[in-house]
Amino acid sequence: MLRNEHPVTGRRLPRLDGAAKASGRHVYGADFALPGMLYGKILRSRVPRARLVRIDTHRAAALPGVRAVITAADVPKVRYGNAVKDLTVFATDQIRFVGHPLAAVAATTPEIAEQALAMIEVELEPLEPVYDPERALETDAPLLHPDWQSYAVLPFIARQGNVAGRSRIRHGDVDAAFARAYRVYENRFTTPLQHAGYTEPRAATAAWDGNATLTVWSNAQLPFEVQAMLSDILQLPSSQIRVVVPGIGGGFGGKLRIGVEHFAALLARACGRPVKIITTSEEELIAAHPRQPAIITLKTGVARDGKILARDGRVLVDCGAYAGSGPLVGAVALQVLAGPYRASNLRLESLAVYTNKVPSGSFRAPSGPMANLAVECQMDMIAEDLGIDPLELRLRNVVHEGDLGPAGEVLKSVSVEECLRRAADAIGWHDRRPAPGRGKGIACSWWMTTGGSSGVYLKLNADGSVSLTSGAVELGTGALTGAAQILAEELALDLEDIRIATVDTQNAPYDYGAQGSRTAFSVGNACRAAAEILRRQIFAVVAKHLEIPADEILLREKCVVARNHRLPLAEVARIAQLGAGGLIAHGTAISPPPAHDPGRVENHPLPAWNTPSFHAHAADLSVDRETGEITIHRYVVAQDVGYAINPTYIEGQIEGGVSQGLGQALSEEIVYEDGRVLNASLTDYKMPTSLDMPRVESILVECPSQHGPYGAKGVGEPPCIEPPATIANAIAAATGLWITSLPITAEKILLGLEGSEQKP
Amino acid sequence: MTRSVLALSVNGEQHELLIEPHWTLLHVLRTELGLTGTKENCLEGECGVCTVLLDGKAVNSCIVLADQCRGREVLTIEGLGGPERLHPLQRAFAEHGAVQCGYCIPGMILTAKSFLDEHPGEIPSEDEIREAICGTLCRCTGYQKIIDAIAAAAVRMNEQTRHAAQ
Repeated sequence: MLRNEHPVTGRRLPRLDGAAKASGRHVYGADFALPGMLYGKILRSRVPRARLVRIDTHRAAALPGVRAVITAADVPKVRYGNAVKDLTVFATDQIRFVGHPLAAVAATTPEIAEQALAMIEVELEPLEPVYDPERALETDAPLLHPDWQSYAVLPFIARQGNVAGRSRIRHGDVDAAFARAYRVYENRFTTPLQHAGYTEPRAATAAWDGNATLTVWSNAQLPFEVQAMLSDILQLPSSQIRVVVPGIGGGFGGKLRIGVEHFAALLARACGRPVKIITTSEEELIAAHPRQPAIITLKTGVARDGKILARDGRVLVDCGAYAGSGPLVGAVALQVLAGPYRASNLRLESLAVYTNKVPSGSFRAPSGPMANLAVECQMDMIAEDLGIDPLELRLRNVVHEGDLGPAGEVLKSVSVEECLRRAADAIGWHDRRPAPGRGKGIACSWWMTTGGSSGVYLKLNADGSVSLTSGAVELGTGALTGAAQILAEELALDLEDIRIATVDTQNAPYDYGAQGSRTAFSVGNACRAAAEILRRQIFAVVAKHLEIPADEILLREKCVVARNHRLPLAEVARIAQLGAGGLIAHGTAISPPPAHDPGRVENHPLPAWNTPSFHAHAADLSVDRETGEITIHRYVVAQDVGYAINPTYIEGQIEGGVSQGLGQALSEEIVYEDGRVLNASLTDYKMPTSLDMPRVESILVECPSQHGPYGAKGVGEPPCIEPPATIANAIAAATGLWITSLPITAEKILLGLEGSEQKP
Repeated sequence: MTRSVLALSVNGEQHELLIEPHWTLLHVLRTELGLTGTKENCLEGECGVCTVLLDGKAVNSCIVLADQCRGREVLTIEGLGGPERLHPLQRAFAEHGAVQCGYCIPGMILTAKSFLDEHPGEIPSEDEIREAICGTLCRCTGYQKIIDAIAAAAVRMNEQTRHAAQ
């Protein structure tokens, strides 16, 4: 393939939407407005579990300015959902969590809509709730979904009562390996609910063209999934539903599942006017799609030299009142629980369990940080017990090129040793406890580049620029600037010559969506395929025009070069428009998962990971023994990105991912008491500020992948996986104290230190 | 509800608006004037994405009543500079990779402007910048490239001031 003489990829070019965003001109979902639109609000339950006896909306409907009030009685009687179709738009017979939608109102102002909500009368009969997922597993626990057997599910899902999904990876003989192990370690870890923390609330504006066609402008991460869900909910063919994503102010997986689009659509249909809904901070913290709380138990048997012989682990994810992403999130934890380590005997199980709390979602590397906390803290506990340096213990166990992964797949482009060594060198691992109360921690992991297909359309514009239409939204990661760099490189253009279209399901080709660290990878591959087709089209037009064979034609510096002719692409576009209806190319990409041993895996949607990436984090911190507060002096990330398409935005992913991971490690928790959220505001839900964040030192390791564009691997999710384990290990190095329950607050540290001082 | 007349200057342009007493400055900017560069999120002064300059000082426009802005000068991100004529802060944010999703960026840039304007001729330290922007949440960047952008803009703005003085 011809590459640009001045490559566009691999360079620190400013993103295409940067100036529009920095000048406030970029329009986000929450900014979108239509003439004559009304404002929608949702009535949400204040009790965690009850039978809904009666709901009376007459007074609310009579309030001046109110245009529609809808309840379960006004919407199609259908269940919808992602892995398990267990959701209804509004509570029907049973209320299952505080925040459960009961009714919705559209009014001329948000204030009137709010006032109307307070006038809806609800009669309830309280039922016994279940908050603890371990209690929910007991045989005498109340059943959250008595009709669970009637729900439709994806084929791989295994369920039973309050278990919404169970997955397993098993091979070898774990019990026999434990019996001959030098030592066996068993530990339990817990992690809390964490909000994705996007700064733009979820928002949707819906308008109907008569009653036939719906358009929704929203900040959804997966417009095609939202379209499919709306099709189920409204009982309309999906082609009659158009989802447009003008812009999105962060998602991090929290905007994957349908948000408020359906409420806006139903209200707009009821009142015959456009309706806009934007969530409040309280709604975000009681009824969004946060990261599942998890309980992880991990038992590991090792030989005298620290080699792992067997692992027996269970991840229990609390998916809340509805399955949401829970069954998939639980399943994916199993690969992280195996770790980037050789182990010939594995018995790993995940359970996604219903409780009377907020239904949860797929926050960035969904179960990665939870399972990694267990694996990597336990590695340090083992190292300490055996008197082996924690880095050395890891190096004795990590996987190498050609090893088998947990599902029996052959691992390729394996770089975990290099990541560990480079992170350790950078943090100064030789001096692990440089002062009293100061210590260094290290943790490593691996993660997938999620598969799924991508299609892109390219159009050669009259001015010689090229439009890129994709179904993948730009979340902010810079992934589409990365894809545009690839496209520019393939077409001998500058990055600024690529125009990225707004995502609109009516005219965008399908994309599996901006999720799973796949956007630059998969859309980038589709761009390469489409560029090849567009090149051939361009050469055919020029060959005919100049009567020169196509194989003597080249693209160079925005021109077509053929013998002694040099045609600017704008000229080619003009010729193609005059004689050929213009030029449009369609390129697609799909990355097939590696072959695996199906005998090792049960009920797993992603049994063998596509193009895994490897990474290691290291931290140097001090603990104040008086206050329990920690100060992070340095934080290093060595991440294998395969090929750095744009190093600036890859660093941006690492720095931002670490910030979310440190939030989970140290301060973030949606706190429940008796089924109610105690901290449903940004005053009380503490995300890292500029004063909390250390400078993050990024080391980009480039071990090229077989399937990514120019060797790239998925980048976006991994940086938030290792921070909790890295911090916990550094705290243990500094103090000798193990805190196995996130977040590791100053209070927990202080109580732990006081406890250990009281012991003899 | 009784409406009253409000005379307000936004980005150097005079407006006469009929406002309701409970309307916030944020509501007036976004809904009445269509200036959606000022972002909306928590509505309780916690996240900082709605920051604008009121008589040159950074305020959370979600907790300032429009009525409190009578006869005062408001600067929003649209008034600071457009995509073709970026202010040095806007340019530095775009060039240093400080913009990801971008939703906090207008508020972050105006917070930085207010801070730099209070310290003319100075090059602030990293710690001072961290302190200055700690009221604006960014979930994408971990703040690092934002801090680098503000430091770079401070240098450029000082150079421009010196050139203008010469």
